[in-house]
Amino acid sequence: MLPYNFAVTQGVEALAGSWLLLSGGGGAHLMIEWVGRKTIAGYAYLAALATLFIQAVLDLLSPGRQGRRETLRVLTRQILFTGVDALPVTSVIALLLGIIIVTQAGTQLPRLGAGGLVGSIIVITVIRELGPLITAFIVVGRSGTAIATELGNMSVTREVVALRLMGIPISQFVIMPRMVGMVLSMLCLTFYFDVVAVFGGYLVADAQLTIPFSAFVESVTRALSTTDLLMTAIKGFGFGSAVAAVCCYHGLAVRSSYTEVPQQTTRAMINSFVLCLLVDVVVTVPLYL
Amino acid sequence: MSEAAIRFTQVRASLAGSPSHLQLDLQIEAGQFVVLVGPSRSGKSLAIEMAAGLVPPQSGKVMVLGQDWNAVEGADDGPVRLRVGTVLQQPGLLSNMTLFNNVLLPLRYHCGAMSDGEREQAVMAQLEPLGLLSLRDRFPAELHQGEIRRGAIARSLMLEPEVLLLDDPVAGLDADMVLVLKQYVDARRQQRPLTVVAALRSFSPFIEGADRLVVLQEGRVVADGSLESVGSTVPSALRRYVE
Repeated sequence: MLPYNFAVTQGVEALAGSWLLLSGGGGAHLMIEWVGRKTIAGYAYLAALATLFIQAVLDLLSPGRQGRRETLRVLTRQILFTGVDALPVTSVIALLLGIIIVTQAGTQLPRLGAGGLVGSIIVITVIRELGPLITAFIVVGRSGTAIATELGNMSVTREVVALRLMGIPISQFVIMPRMVGMVLSMLCLTFYFDVVAVFGGYLVADAQLTIPFSAFVESVTRALSTTDLLMTAIKGFGFGSAVAAVCCYHGLAVRSSYTEVPQQTTRAMINSFVLCLLVDVVVTVPLYL
Repeated sequence: MSEAAIRFTQVRASLAGSPSHLQLDLQIEAGQFVVLVGPSRSGKSLAIEMAAGLVPPQSGKVMVLGQDWNAVEGADDGPVRLRVGTVLQQPGLLSNMTLFNNVLLPLRYHCGAMSDGEREQAVMAQLEPLGLLSLRDRFPAELHQGEIRRGAIARSLMLEPEVLLLDDPVAGLDADMVLVLKQYVDARRQQRPLTVVAALRSFSPFIEGADRLVVLQEGRVVADGSLESVGSTVPSALRRYVE
């Protein structure tokens, strides 16, 4: 439940605070205590996000008998906003990135006698790494901040309380559709980004490096494995879940003042970036061990 | 004697922004129209929020329709929640929905079996007597405070609750609209049993329809009874709240 998330964070922070008070002064001591306190708060924060995510999964798997159509309506709107509306900006960024990477690779690799590795470079840099990550950054900038702001404003104007008073569960009506919408949109946008970026790469390969379409496609498909596609999907799912949980959490953390809204939105954005990179490391590093 | 719709049993809770505590031992019978009146920070809004299950008391018990709010948590309070309509000081109309869709929302969420036509008819039946029909397609940002409040009251009555809790229902309403609201609440009470508890911070014609007045000061009940009886028992400093 949502209140539980905040209770977890506040409870552990209070515990850390008490520990700080009990342990007394000393510069180094205080420093260690500060680090300890921040670490505990960090774990509590992650636990709160995990609780939010698990609650959303439970709501998805066992939706209540009431409000399904309304929840579906919110979900559809979220997919339209996060996924469909983001297609133009994603296309432009993906196309430009593909052009840049193949331009760099196409001019540098032949000097090292590795001109045939253009396909591998595209797969490794775009499909494995930059595609999912830049898509996540686009989604954070467009939709993550929008969610945090919207929920923050809803909290200040007591719309969240009004929903509760109408017997409409926040987790089911507000959080779950936004999470599911964001995860689905992130997954689709990531694959879309990869395809457009590869196409951008082909434009350069064709025009500048005179690599024919068939040779380019063959080079890319030879370098592409099922693992790459699986990793892209896992990253898309992980980034989507992380961004949605962080932005919902910070939006609902707003209490009573409009000035808290931009503060929480900024936190949501920064923490989303950090968490996406953390998820990226957790998913990528084991692959190379 | 009829069953109590709301019962505050030895309730104690701290009042924000005041050193005093709210101390309430109050029973409101089913079908009664009770007005809590008194100066700011006297505990009226807190009593409404406790009756709505939003704020737990520090001690004591708040029972609404036989349900102890302390015994239910979060989403599990649904069945009781639907029998209680509440409008707080900030009415909380959803800003991304028109007035019509705001009033329709409880029906759309909880009454999936109703046809669209039936729902529209039900919403219109709420908006019309409150003078909101011409504003149905406006968003909350395009409405005046009083219109928002009336819209929220219409929304809170969509599911035919047994208890209606109103915090400052006349705020932002002109004199005519206060009378319209009073007539609307009276009509609803005549149609079916409805317990109404309203918190007011000054005297208003809305009070005249009340069966009972509870005057609060610094968290304590200083007078309780009908409008006529309270007029003679209330401390002189608070007389302007009831006359």
